[in-house]
Amino acid sequence: MSASLGAGLGAAALAGLAAAFALLWLRARRSDARARARLTAATAELERLEQAFARFAPMELVERVIARGVPTSGERKDVTVLFADLVGFTPLSQSVEPATLVRILNGYFERMSRAISAHQGHISTLIGDGILALFGALEANPWQTNDAVQAALAMRSELAAYNAELAAGGLPKLALGIGVHRGWGIAGLVGSDELMQFTVVGNVVSVAARVQGLTREHGVDVLVTVAAKQSLDPRFALRAMPPAELKGIAEPVATFALL
Amino acid sequence: MATVLADVEWESCPLGTHRDRELEAYVRREMGTVPPSLGHFTPVPWVVHSMTALGPFNAPPRQCEDVLLDLIGLVVSQDNSCRYCFGMTRMLLRVHGFSDARIRELEHDFLEAGIDPRSKAAMDFARRLSRAAPRIGVTDLAEVRAAGWSADAVRELACISAYSIYMNRLMTVSAVPYEPMERLATAWFVPWVAPIVRFRMRRRLKQAAERARASGEVRADGPWSFLIRALAGTAFARPLRETLDAAFASPVLSRRAKALVFAVVARGLDCAASAREAQGILLESGLAAEQVHAMLTHLDSPELEPVEAALLPFARGTIRGRPAQLQQRTRAFAQTFGDQRTVEAIALAALANAVCRLGALTELG
Repeated sequence: MSASLGAGLGAAALAGLAAAFALLWLRARRSDARARARLTAATAELERLEQAFARFAPMELVERVIARGVPTSGERKDVTVLFADLVGFTPLSQSVEPATLVRILNGYFERMSRAISAHQGHISTLIGDGILALFGALEANPWQTNDAVQAALAMRSELAAYNAELAAGGLPKLALGIGVHRGWGIAGLVGSDELMQFTVVGNVVSVAARVQGLTREHGVDVLVTVAAKQSLDPRFALRAMPPAELKGIAEPVATFALL
Repeated sequence: MATVLADVEWESCPLGTHRDRELEAYVRREMGTVPPSLGHFTPVPWVVHSMTALGPFNAPPRQCEDVLLDLIGLVVSQDNSCRYCFGMTRMLLRVHGFSDARIRELEHDFLEAGIDPRSKAAMDFARRLSRAAPRIGVTDLAEVRAAGWSADAVRELACISAYSIYMNRLMTVSAVPYEPMERLATAWFVPWVAPIVRFRMRRRLKQAAERARASGEVRADGPWSFLIRALAGTAFARPLRETLDAAFASPVLSRRAKALVFAVVARGLDCAASAREAQGILLESGLAAEQVHAMLTHLDSPELEPVEAALLPFARGTIRGRPAQLQQRTRAFAQTFGDQRTVEAIALAALANAVCRLGALTELG
């Protein structure tokens, strides 16, 4: 009797112990599942942030910054700069609704970005409706000027297709001015703790931007400088433009229109 | 479950499939299976031989365990957007016992996936060598050495990366259909057959290691002998020597056309040693230094043969580029020059990409 009672008590204790273990196991599983869900959400958020960041800096650079921290030194590089701007953007911005304007601009940037990246360039900065694109800044590229001019041709053709879409939707057409220049600049991460971007600084950028401004004066859409022309494939059809004064540059600058 | 490469655009393969029972038997003997892509490459036998010769079942690394080998394959294939090789390495990781969730963690960000620091450094180094943007440098080398990899082991890691660089381009530029590999990577039966596959793979690796140990010294002359000398002691040196010899001896494209492919890739990757090597072959073929310079400056010259004129921009495109863009160029090339010359052009460009990245590493001393 006492033996069977003992056995019964033993069995009850074992069952209780098993139930306690089962409860603990279930709790642990639930907690594990919650932790996993939090981890998945955090990973997704990190990825989203990384992708958002990648729009402003090359992915390789994003990963280096994550792995090694922000590099503080710049590097002197031989780069080709393409500066593009919309012609007549101010009147356009006053003639359409803000939401429509943003939609037009986003469509424009998407197409231009595609044309630039297809030719080994990357967009460094968007300045209002302007685009600063770099070729040969991140990795050595001996064909960087040909790439930049090919990108300019692709941008011209993308814009023509986009204008046809805009016209079909009853929206005003866009016009583009592009300046291409090659020279030495300092490439690196520039900015503050709040905002940092990979870019090139130096005269090479100012010249490209000012040459872009000359497109209106010369009534053409793409201008390349002498420095860019020197390393350009002679098969590109160019027309010499009269030298023009540029702000901050002592000598008049000779440019060539891309036909 | 969609992989991180699910959005990578991929064109249809412009190459026909050509059955060659002799080559199939050779591949089955060497690898234990015939991959579905083989028929696209049989028009150029050296390409089929290279696919097995440069791989781990023939050139097994001595200081890198088989799981890490596939982890490197995963990150390099992902970086090169090769859906075919990515599917294959995902499948291999399942064979090693990795769960789908773990593979997803790795592909989303291996740097944060809780891998031991030594393996992580190896994977990161292999990926940087492949990416070459910027070119591999002394800092990269110092980092992997600091993680505990000896100079010999680093050379092996570079060879593993080079094999992925080669295979990724072979599959991507050819637009080989990736769907069979992606299906296999997620097939329900993989965990069930994994122990047998694992056993067979390890046995093959062991046999290959014994063969590699028994083989004598590698010939030090021939194209890219500086690289073969730098890789002496690795199991990769001999098959690379044989592959380079076979590639340059092949009668499909001229020796000059082949050297031009290597010269373009060397220039694009800023590898001076490989550029010198290619220049040497071009001068031997009768071109003057000024002619070579003119051809490489704008990737065009009236003195180029039609196939060379098409090869130069084609080779340049393989250095960095999106798969769909490369594949459209391959289609255009194949339409003009046919399957055989296209297969050899793709393989030469793939080989040049692997060789010049390795060459850039040797320049660091």
